[in-house]
Amino acid sequence: MTSRTTLSEIPAGCPMHQAGERFQPFEHKGMTDFYASVRPEVPIFYAPSIDCWVVTRREDALAVLRDHERFSASNATAPIVPWPEEMHQFLRDQHFTNESVQVACDPPRHTRGRNAAMTFLNMKKFQNYEADVRALARSYINEISNSGKDVVDLVESFTYEYPAKVAFLVLGEKQLDARKLKQWADLRIKLIFGTLTHEQQMEAARDLADFWHFASALVEQRKKHPGDDYPSALLAARAGDDSILTENEVKSLVFGLLLAAHETTTNAAGNLLFELLKRPITWQAIVEDQSLIPNAVEEGLRYATSTIAWRRRAKVDVEIAGVQLPQGSQILLSLTSANRDEKQFTDGEIFDIGRSNARSHIAFGNGIHHCLGAPLARMELRILLEELTTAFPKMRLEDEESISFLPTLSFRGPDRLPVRLNG
Amino acid sequence: MPKLTFISSSGDRHEIAASNGASVMECAIEHGIEGIVAECGGSMSCGTCHVYLDRETYERLGTPPTAENDLLDFVNAPRRPTSRLSCQIKVDEHLDGAVISVPQSQY
Repeated sequence: MTSRTTLSEIPAGCPMHQAGERFQPFEHKGMTDFYASVRPEVPIFYAPSIDCWVVTRREDALAVLRDHERFSASNATAPIVPWPEEMHQFLRDQHFTNESVQVACDPPRHTRGRNAAMTFLNMKKFQNYEADVRALARSYINEISNSGKDVVDLVESFTYEYPAKVAFLVLGEKQLDARKLKQWADLRIKLIFGTLTHEQQMEAARDLADFWHFASALVEQRKKHPGDDYPSALLAARAGDDSILTENEVKSLVFGLLLAAHETTTNAAGNLLFELLKRPITWQAIVEDQSLIPNAVEEGLRYATSTIAWRRRAKVDVEIAGVQLPQGSQILLSLTSANRDEKQFTDGEIFDIGRSNARSHIAFGNGIHHCLGAPLARMELRILLEELTTAFPKMRLEDEESISFLPTLSFRGPDRLPVRLNG
Repeated sequence: MPKLTFISSSGDRHEIAASNGASVMECAIEHGIEGIVAECGGSMSCGTCHVYLDRETYERLGTPPTAENDLLDFVNAPRRPTSRLSCQIKVDEHLDGAVISVPQSQY
């Protein structure tokens, strides 16, 4: 590869060109094998179907994530299939005024949102939720135990709702409908990272508006009755001063949390359990020694990353792995590939809960956009395993072939996880 | 440029000339000092750029602000009286001669 490559100069037949041809951004089956096959030779390639340069190695992905001066996050949640004008008009009519304040914006705007969010989303606050999160996990276990079933779907009966209920703790709302929140979030994911038809987009837009109204109403309620929760903390940080944070920004931050606080954790929980239960000896190891669980969580995040890829846009002409990219180029960082990069992880294609540097994955991103909820997600996953291994030590995966993954660009998680509870 | 000395957990010493205005964490990363992870890029949310200052420097800088103090309770290596988050320390002439020890692990 030359030190100055542009798109038109990539010859057909070269590994870089072939990688772009072979890459199927929405197909999860075979994705890790694909990256393993290209990563040694191809650190970056162009994927025409999504108009993105795909970065495959950890050091390059890390460098981009850390360089918010030259790489913008503004395209991080841009819809893959552009929303039609009819949908935009509908959302305007519904007073849908969500704005990018966090994941898909850059400093100085990002700094405002982050500073306000951090007053509540921090380790000290999260620590207070440990007992509640454990009680929640136990309530799901009890329901499963009392169902009298031998075989249950762990996604349906546990991991689908569980992180949403934790999100409700953060929002200060214990009595909400977790299923409704999950359905809203699923639709929002499909609207951004999936490939919906026009009709599906319009249908989803109606739910998106509902979702927004819910977030707005929550903030309005907290203005009157503040509590010890995230919306109240944002309002307190704002202190009525638009130069710190506007009310619409507060609503947008709450709207963002309604998705970010549970969708990826549901997926991460499913992925982690899937990998552990596929390997009965490994499952048995954490049953016998629960002190192995924290690192098993990290290895799950590394090996079966739930946010598989994340986007950036070059603000200026840049060079990645020797390839020159013009300003405006879209970049897809494959976190899945980065997290198996042999340069960082010896035998990276092997799931090893004893791996000493498992924690150096970039499943939660890196740099100024690093996930603020990471400590809470880690806690939820740890407690999930602690409680499941205690309650059902002989649990076994059933009907593995029936498990599939929703085809989206950025997220990965099993749709179901059937298990036999008592071996 | 202020001179900073980093001491690794195994006792290796690295002296660097740090850039005024940058944070100690940024200077450490720029100079390839191992053991400072800084997952959150200096946003003060991860606690993975924890260091121990020499007592004199620590006292010269004064008590860390509340938010940093809170996060220091959650760092991986033991918190000590001179623990700080290196992303929150700005480099200036007052830091010249600082001796900064890096813990064995950040997580």
